[in-house]
Order: sequence, then C-alpha cells, then structure tokens
Amino acid sequence: MSVVAFERKQYDGEWSERELSTITAALNPALAPTTGRTWETGMTEKGDAQFYLLGPLPDQSCELCVSRIGGRYLLEDGSGRLLFEHRNLDLVVLHARAAVPSTSWLMVRVIILWCAIRSVLHERIEPMLAESEELLVQWAPQLAAFA
Amino acid sequence: MKRGKHQDVFAERLPGKAVPDARQLRKTAGDWLKQRRAEAALSQADLAARLGLKYYTFISQVENGFSRVPTELMGAWARELGLEPAAFARHLLMYYEPELYRLLFGVESK
Repeated sequence: MSVVAFERKQYDGEWSERELSTITAALNPALAPTTGRTWETGMTEKGDAQFYLLGPLPDQSCELCVSRIGGRYLLEDGSGRLLFEHRNLDLVVLHARAAVPSTSWLMVRVIILWCAIRSVLHERIEPMLAESEELLVQWAPQLAAFA
Repeated sequence: MKRGKHQDVFAERLPGKAVPDARQLRKTAGDWLKQRRAEAALSQADLAARLGLKYYTFISQVENGFSRVPTELMGAWARELGLEPAAFARHLLMYYEPELYRLLFGVESK
C-alpha cells in the first residue's frame, strides 16, 4: 500500500514561493515600474506572514496588506480597514487587484463621466434647444407682423 | 523578520543623509511603539482587541513601519499603552511629519 503525499499547506511562517508568486502575479499591473510601487514582506509577532504593497517615493506607505493567519488570508488597506478575508488566496488577490488605486481606472471613470455628460446633453438639452427653435420659427412671423 | 525586495533592511539612521526618508522615520516610530507596547505588557492581539480591531495585523503593519497610527485611533492607542495622548501624538508627529513638527515645536528631537 502506498501513501499519497499530498502537498502540505503552509499555514504559518514566511510566505511560500507559490503564495508570493500568486500575489505578485495578480498585482503585476500595479507593480509596473512606471507606477513607482514596490512590495515587501514582514511578519506579525506571532509569525504570521504579511505582504505590503507600497506606494511610490517619497512616502512609500502601505497601500494594501495581505496577511495569512491560520490559513485565512486577510486583505487590509493602509489604514487598517479590513477589505476582504477568505481561505482562498486567489479570491483575496482578486480583491486586492480591484482595490489598488490605478490611473487607468481613473481614466475609465473620466471616460464614463464624459459619456454620461454627452448622453445627458444629447437627450435633454438638444431637444429643448430644438423645441425653442421650433417655437421661434412659429412665432417669429406673427411677432414681426404685430410689430 | 522582514524581507525586502528592492531595498535593504532599515538602518537606524542613514549615514550622511540630512533628512531621513519618510519610510525610515515610520520604521523608527514603529520600533518606539513596539517598545511602549512591550512595556505595557500587551501583545499585538491584546492591543488590537482593546482598540476594537478584528485582527492584530494592522498593529504589525504600523510597528513594522509600513503605516501610521491613524489620527482617529491615536487617543485610544495612547491610553491603552498607558501614555498621555497629547505627548503620544506629539512624539509620533516628530516621525510622521518632521517638518510640521519642526515648525510647531522648533526642534527635531524630543
């Protein structure tokens, strides 16, 4: 009889290479050299692994922190707000990726806002202008005759 | 305890550098906080519980020098460490906002 050697999950101590590569791969766009961001790892006093996503110089403060406590992964921002927690690291890094402040996300918001403004202009303002133009055309001869 | 990817492990003071960078100062503040907590005989988990935090990971984040003590938590943090809140805030301001500290109090050291 042979015993199947299941891979033992690492629930305390430093990050495993696999965990680290999962996190860094998910945050790869946020860690692009143009962003100026970097990352570091650390530990709590109880030996729980922590991953810090650091903002650009000069401050380099923590933007996001992923911690592993007893097989559970926590996602917090730099102010200690708990954003998400789960046993599945893949899910946690998905949330981390969405939580990273990004310029492209800002651009997307600006474009959406611009489209919304144009849509409002098109739907509300243009008919009003057309209506007033129509009224002017209708009433102008009468006003001219009256004058 | 810590593994840096792009930078060396923090030194107490960078030699020949007139103004220590923000990160270095935060780390010094974190070490000071860790010492005060040890003197208060509290673990990170104890302090987190007393501050109403669900996990102690944020305490570690601050003590490792990656984040600051949020202003809204300063009073409670000080009291749990048995320190006077104004003195605590003033001491942290020296690390977190050294220029503001210098303008307010005129000197860079305690």
